[in-house]
Amino acid sequence: MKKIFRSSQFLVESRFFIASIVIVGAILILWLRVWHLQIYRGDYYRRVSENNRIRKIEIPAPRGILFDAHGKVLLGNTPSSDLIVVPQYIKDREKTFDILARLLHQPKELYERKFKAARAQPRFMPITMQRNLSQHEVSIIESNRPFLPGVEIRTTARREYNKDISPHMLGYLGEVNPTQIDDLNAKNRDNPYMIGDLVGKQGLEARLEKYIRGRRGYKVIQVDAFGRASNPSKQDWVLPMVPAHPGANVELTIDLELQESVGQAFSGKNGAVIVMDPRSGAILAMTSQPSWDPYMYQRGMTVEEFRALTLDPLHPFMDKTTGGEYPPGSTYKAVVALAGLEENAINSSKSYYCGGSFSLGAQTFGCHKKEGHGWVNLRSALMQSCDVYFYHLGIELGVDRIAKYARALGLGSKLGLELNMERPGLVPTEAWKLATHKEAWATGETPPIAIGQGYNLVTPLQMASLYGAIATKGQIWKPYLIKRISSPVGQLIEERQPQLIRTTDVISPGNYELVRQGLEAVVMDDEGTGKKARVPGVTVAGKTGSVQVVNLKKNKNQTDVSILWKEHAMFASFAPSEDPEVVVAVISEHDDKGGGGASAAPVAGHILNTFFKLKNRRANLASGATAKPNPGPAKEKTYE
Amino acid sequence: MSDVNDKSNHSPTMVSEPVLLVPGQEIREPRLLWSRVIIGIMFALIIMGMTNLYSAAMGTGLFWSQLKNLAIALIAFFVCGWVIPPRHYNTYAYWIFGLVCMLLILVDIMGGIAMGAQRWLKIGPIVFQPSELAKVAVAMVVAKFFHTSRLSRPYSLRDLLPLGAIIGAAFVLIFAQPDFGTAGVCALIAACQLAFVRVNGKSLGIVIVTMLVLLVVAWFFVLHDYQKLRVLNLIYPEMDRSGTGYNALQSFIAIGSGKFFGKGFLEGTQTQLQFLPARHTDFIFAVFTEEHGFLGATILFGLFVTLVYMGLAIAKHGKDIFSSMLAIGMTAIIFVSFMINTSMVLGLFPVVGVPLPFFSYGGTAMIMFCSSLGILIGIERDSLDLFRKTHPFNIGSNGKAIK
Repeated sequence: MKKIFRSSQFLVESRFFIASIVIVGAILILWLRVWHLQIYRGDYYRRVSENNRIRKIEIPAPRGILFDAHGKVLLGNTPSSDLIVVPQYIKDREKTFDILARLLHQPKELYERKFKAARAQPRFMPITMQRNLSQHEVSIIESNRPFLPGVEIRTTARREYNKDISPHMLGYLGEVNPTQIDDLNAKNRDNPYMIGDLVGKQGLEARLEKYIRGRRGYKVIQVDAFGRASNPSKQDWVLPMVPAHPGANVELTIDLELQESVGQAFSGKNGAVIVMDPRSGAILAMTSQPSWDPYMYQRGMTVEEFRALTLDPLHPFMDKTTGGEYPPGSTYKAVVALAGLEENAINSSKSYYCGGSFSLGAQTFGCHKKEGHGWVNLRSALMQSCDVYFYHLGIELGVDRIAKYARALGLGSKLGLELNMERPGLVPTEAWKLATHKEAWATGETPPIAIGQGYNLVTPLQMASLYGAIATKGQIWKPYLIKRISSPVGQLIEERQPQLIRTTDVISPGNYELVRQGLEAVVMDDEGTGKKARVPGVTVAGKTGSVQVVNLKKNKNQTDVSILWKEHAMFASFAPSEDPEVVVAVISEHDDKGGGGASAAPVAGHILNTFFKLKNRRANLASGATAKPNPGPAKEKTYE
Repeated sequence: MSDVNDKSNHSPTMVSEPVLLVPGQEIREPRLLWSRVIIGIMFALIIMGMTNLYSAAMGTGLFWSQLKNLAIALIAFFVCGWVIPPRHYNTYAYWIFGLVCMLLILVDIMGGIAMGAQRWLKIGPIVFQPSELAKVAVAMVVAKFFHTSRLSRPYSLRDLLPLGAIIGAAFVLIFAQPDFGTAGVCALIAACQLAFVRVNGKSLGIVIVTMLVLLVVAWFFVLHDYQKLRVLNLIYPEMDRSGTGYNALQSFIAIGSGKFFGKGFLEGTQTQLQFLPARHTDFIFAVFTEEHGFLGATILFGLFVTLVYMGLAIAKHGKDIFSSMLAIGMTAIIFVSFMINTSMVLGLFPVVGVPLPFFSYGGTAMIMFCSSLGILIGIERDSLDLFRKTHPFNIGSNGKAIK
């Protein structure tokens, strides 16, 4: 047996003794510390842990507020009382839910289901059982608190909706899907979601989620055995508290007053309306109907309500402004006219004879006016919406040449509003038909295309953009809703500038002018189909459209058929005609009041009227407030 | 601790052994007493640790997953104690260290990220923490260094420079993950081994001054904000009330409320109501003391102190310099981890991620701690030449079969 530490030159045996002292000393210090905590201060800490319980309370962050372009609140918050349950403090779950069900007249299964959904989280974390309790319900719960350990009422910020704004644009809030919560949190670790959190599910609420969500805070409170907060004054530490950060505020391009007038003008109709500034793409108002009550999600929707909404044949959940695709009908004639002029198939004076129908081989295509329009030129064809003129023109151009100009004007592709499910629409061509239907294009299919029926599909947003392009002689702006995102204290986070997609210069300004004159005649001429859209003091240009949904038999007319067979009424317009400031596109699907001229044009007229009234009022206010003698250019005076 | 083998100074228990009565016979079997004590304490700690983890895991799968880790750890313990003689570590020390360093580099490049640090390496179905293995590797390299470069004079800084470079490399690789706790433990293990070596006083002074300077530099340029916060939190507990301060507070309440006898198994309210942060890893000592009180803590301390003394006893009677230094290193792994973990939970040390041996959840750590004890046993068995008898492959140190 060698003795390494004795024989070695450099290993020191005495160090073992020193090491022993160091080890004993170190352990002694730890042991004294444990003695200090457990014996000397033990009673104190035992009291803290048993009689007082510290609970971390999450402070939900209020979501950011959405403002309109003039600083009015489009979507704000209002306080709401929620019923929550802390599993840790529940003595008898069955009994507690029984009492709650009786007090609040709700099925007990509702509470059981929510309770089960939150099984995975720690037992001291609250579970939201029911949202938006009435004052009466709150007082009932409060007075029964001694029998309901673990049940609490918590006040949080809820969304307050304006009924004139359709929920498709602003979106709605729903509880975060428990199965997706991990995926969501993987992306934002520093600000995680919890079960029961509300997230934006559609429209701007979903699109702006990361900005307007805010960051939750928390505070630590002490509670007694009944869950009542107790005074922490005897403690020698300060209970932590981190305030919640509200979400960012967003300024939209929407004009609330105009939006409200859109809601009123379009009430009772189904479909979509877009009001846009053709000079920037800013959306001033938009609506999609039929709608539904966004409060349903906040208070909790029943299965029956949800089923009724999803089975509704008019698709209330669908955002028709960007996702609804319709045949453009006669509103498409402006595109065909531009194509004809540019391809020299027609000029301003070339006329065709309309005898009420158009024959192509064995096929006959009727005009909407059975007795015919007589000799029509470009202006009168647009004005009276003569179908036969455009059948001739369509045959002369062919479908591909029409498609070329339709695409150039922004149809057939997404415009990039990035709201909900934007659809691209459809501009049919011969190649497209061969690819999708495996059939060659038949010449007989061209005349319906020329009057906007057949395979053509546009979204209301595209229609507004198309008429904006005609109004501005070819400028296609990217439509946008979000003007500015700023923090609650006013720091700028993001600002969007109008973005020009392109200027369609394959069409000469002179040809735009000819079509504009024709469109002006639609409204301003007494023989025009859209004269119900007139606004006093402003020249309005527009085009009506009525789209047959099904081919009706001769003896039936529009009043006898079911609503889903009725035709779509459309009207697309811009004003003032010579220097456009606003584009209005109205699509009223399955309208029972008549076609575009009778049903959609008055809606557009009402909206345009409100637009110019608001404009004058604001101009007057501005000139009064700043006391400038001449606030705006002279043209503003003409509308008064 | 006296030399038991010194025949003029027998301990009473040794005298009672009948083998001593036979003249001229080497006393071997009674010396294995230290190993037996180590085995006993290890199993006591494992049983305590596993029941405690059962309580801390609160019905999650952590307990069962740790049970699987334990099975592997016990196999590693047996292999280190009974199969591999320590001379093999001597032969392959630099290779083992090199392999661990490569794993550490891999972790830095492509390791799994958890809680802001890159610590895990995934190879097929196996996920492990190479930084835990580095602790053993560092101890081996230090032992090997002193085994090969023996000097008759005290070591000067110049002599220790190669060793410093090797340890420094491992330190930097672990520090980069960033895992300040484990990097520090590795450095401390090497320092513990060095403490038993005669070092030139002047060199020691230079090292201490350099360390102080490096500490200041590290504070301003290397440490992350959260690391600084943890240090400052010891001095100013109210600075970060909501973050680390809150955790420390919950840990004090847990420990303090245990009082003398504790609240009982599975009865710790701080634990069971999930107030306690990192219950099953860093703060598991608080779970134990809450449920088993001052009594439990005292027993725990007693077991660890005994374990460390057994380790030192084995080191003192090592077969050669390598064995002795390695034994010191293995003892240091247990001692340093235990000290840092408990003082951190008791609020005497900044919060760093160092596991409590046999208590904290973690597969690699469990295997590493069991292997360290296995190596200690192997060293004692080797010093009694027991490997010649029981070596399963019957292979000697030079690779030749032993008759």
